[in-house]
Amino acid sequence: MLEIRFHGRGGQGAVVASELLAQAVFFDGKVAQSFPFFGVERRGAPVTAFTRIDDQPIRLRSFIENPDVVVVLDPGLLRDTPVTEGLKPGGLLLVNSPRPPEAFSLPLGGRIATLDATGIALGRKVGTATMPVVNTAVLGALARATGAFTETSLERAIISFVPSHPEENRAAARDGAEAVRTEPVAPSTVAPAPAPPAAPLPFPEGPMASRPSHVLHTSSWRTLRPVIDRDRCTRCNFCWEFCPDDAFDLDAEGYPLVRLSYCKGCGICATECPPDAIQMVTEA
Amino acid sequence: MAKLTIPRQELMYSGHAACPGCGPALAMRLLLKGLGPRTVVSVPASCWTVIATPYPTTALGVGMLDNAIEATGASISGLRAAADALGLGDLNVVGFAGDGGTADIGLQSLSGMLERGTDALYVMYDNEAYMNTGVQRSSATPQGAWTTTTPVAGEARGKLEPKKDIMAIVLAHHPVYAATLNPSFPEDFVRKVEKARERKGPRFFHVYAACPPGWRYDSDQTIELGRLATYAGIFPLYEVEMGRLRITRRMGQLKPVEEYLKAQGRFRHFSPEEVQQVQEQARARWDDLLARERAANPPERAAVPGEPASPALPPPVAGEALGRT
Repeated sequence: MLEIRFHGRGGQGAVVASELLAQAVFFDGKVAQSFPFFGVERRGAPVTAFTRIDDQPIRLRSFIENPDVVVVLDPGLLRDTPVTEGLKPGGLLLVNSPRPPEAFSLPLGGRIATLDATGIALGRKVGTATMPVVNTAVLGALARATGAFTETSLERAIISFVPSHPEENRAAARDGAEAVRTEPVAPSTVAPAPAPPAAPLPFPEGPMASRPSHVLHTSSWRTLRPVIDRDRCTRCNFCWEFCPDDAFDLDAEGYPLVRLSYCKGCGICATECPPDAIQMVTEA
Repeated sequence: MAKLTIPRQELMYSGHAACPGCGPALAMRLLLKGLGPRTVVSVPASCWTVIATPYPTTALGVGMLDNAIEATGASISGLRAAADALGLGDLNVVGFAGDGGTADIGLQSLSGMLERGTDALYVMYDNEAYMNTGVQRSSATPQGAWTTTTPVAGEARGKLEPKKDIMAIVLAHHPVYAATLNPSFPEDFVRKVEKARERKGPRFFHVYAACPPGWRYDSDQTIELGRLATYAGIFPLYEVEMGRLRITRRMGQLKPVEEYLKAQGRFRHFSPEEVQQVQEQARARWDDLLARERAANPPERAAVPGEPASPALPPPVAGEALGRT
C-alpha cells in the first residue's frame, strides 16, 4: 500500500487533488481511498488531505501518520508546518517550488522532487493570478516521480471530473510531468536532534478562551504581501479603515505600518489606496 | 496626521480565523469600534463562531456567548435580564448572527425578542448563504445565485426563489431603530452603531457582508463590491427610527446592476434578461424607499432626489470630504 499526504492551502485544490488522484487510480484498475482533514477550511489556511493506493481493498480508515509520499502544494508551508513529520525513511518529498531539489533536505534520507507548479498554473491560466490552482500540475509531477499511477489515467480523470477548464488542466498536468526533477538524498550523517519538548502554551489551560487571538500569527496564510511607498502615501488611512484583519497600525505621524504577522494578503489595502501607494508583491 | 473618521480603538483582535478579505470580519471590527468595551456579544453557530475562537483564544475584546444557531434572540433576552439584575444597565447586549441563523433558523427567536421589547441590538450579517458549512443556499440568497445546493447546470439556473426581505419582517415588529449597514461606508456604519447604542429597546441591523470564496470573486474586491451594491440599489443604505424612514446614502441615479453581477462568479451565468430582471427589482426597491421616505416626512420637508432629505440632516462626515463617492 502506498500512502500519500497532501499539504496545501484552502483554495489551492489539495482536497480535489487527492480525489482526482484516487479517480486516476480507479481508471488504472487499482483501489484508492481519499479524504481530507477537516480543520479550519478557510481560503489560505493550511489544509491536509490523504490518499491511499493499493491493489486490494483498503480496510484502514485512519489519518496517514507515516506517509510514503508527502506532497507540498505551497512552499510557504515549509516555514511553519512540519510537513515531513512521520515521512518514512526513504520516502519521497514533492514540493511545488522553482528551486532545485538540492535546496531542500530530508534528515532521514529519501528522494526530493521539485517543480514550479505555480509558474505552470499561471502560464496555463489555471485559477486566477492571485490564486493559481496548482493541483493538476503537481499531480502530473507525482505520476512521473512515483509511477504509482499512469499519466494517461490522470488525464482521463481530469477531463472527466475537473468542472472548469479541463483542457488547460490537462496541459498543466503534462507540463508538471515534464518539469519535475527528482534527486536522491542521503540521510544526514548527524542523527536528527531529539524533538524539543513541546513549547508551553502561551496561556494557562482551562475551559475558557482567555487570551486574545493575536498570540496566533496568520502570516503563513499569505501568498502576497503589501509594500507601502511612504513618499506616495497621503495618510488617508483607507488601508487601516478597510483591513478585515486589523493588520495596520498608524505611526506617530499617521503613516500606516503593516503588521506582517497578521496580514493574510487579501489585497484590499492595495486596491483601495487612492494614490496607489501600496503594491502587492509575491512572498519569497 | 490626518484626522481619523472612525474610532481608533480596536476590540476585534488580529489572529482570527476569517478568510482573507472577509466582509463579516470587517463588519465586526467596525461594530465594536462603535459600541466600545462595555459590550457583550452573543454569537450562534456561524462563520463568526469559528472566526472568533481559534482554540483556546478569542478574537473579541469584549465578552462573548457562544449559543445555538436558533437561539440568538432568546439568548440576548436572557443576557439583558442578567445584566439588569446585576445593575449593569449600561451594558450593550448584542446578538451577532448570520443570515441563516437569523432569516431561517433563528427567525422565531428574533421575532420573540423584538416583540418582547428586549433592550438589545440584533445584528444580522448577511453573506447570503450558509458559508461556514460550504455555501448552501439560505432564504437570504439572492434569486438566481449559484450555491452548492442551487447549482447552475443544464436547465438549473441557481436559486429559484427571491431573497427574503428581512427588514420588512423586522419593521413589522416596530423596533425603536433599524438600519442597513455596509462596511464599504465605514463612517455611515459607525454613525449608525453609535446611534443604536444610545437607544433603549429592540434594535436591528441588516449588514452587507461580502464573502470572497462563497460569492466567487477575488479577495481584494470586497470593498469595491460593497460600494457597487449600494450605488446600484441592490443594498440601499437607510435607517428607520420609530417608523420614520430616512435614506442615508442618496443617489441621484442608480448605477447599472450589471457591473455588480459580473464581478461575482455566482451570477456569471446570468442572461441579459436575468440581468434586466435584477435591474428592474433594484429600480423598484429604490423607488419604494423614496416613496416611504416622502411619506414619513411632512410635505414641506419632502426629500428631493440628489439633495438632503431635510434641513435637520447632520453635516457630511469627513469620509465624504476625502473624496469617497
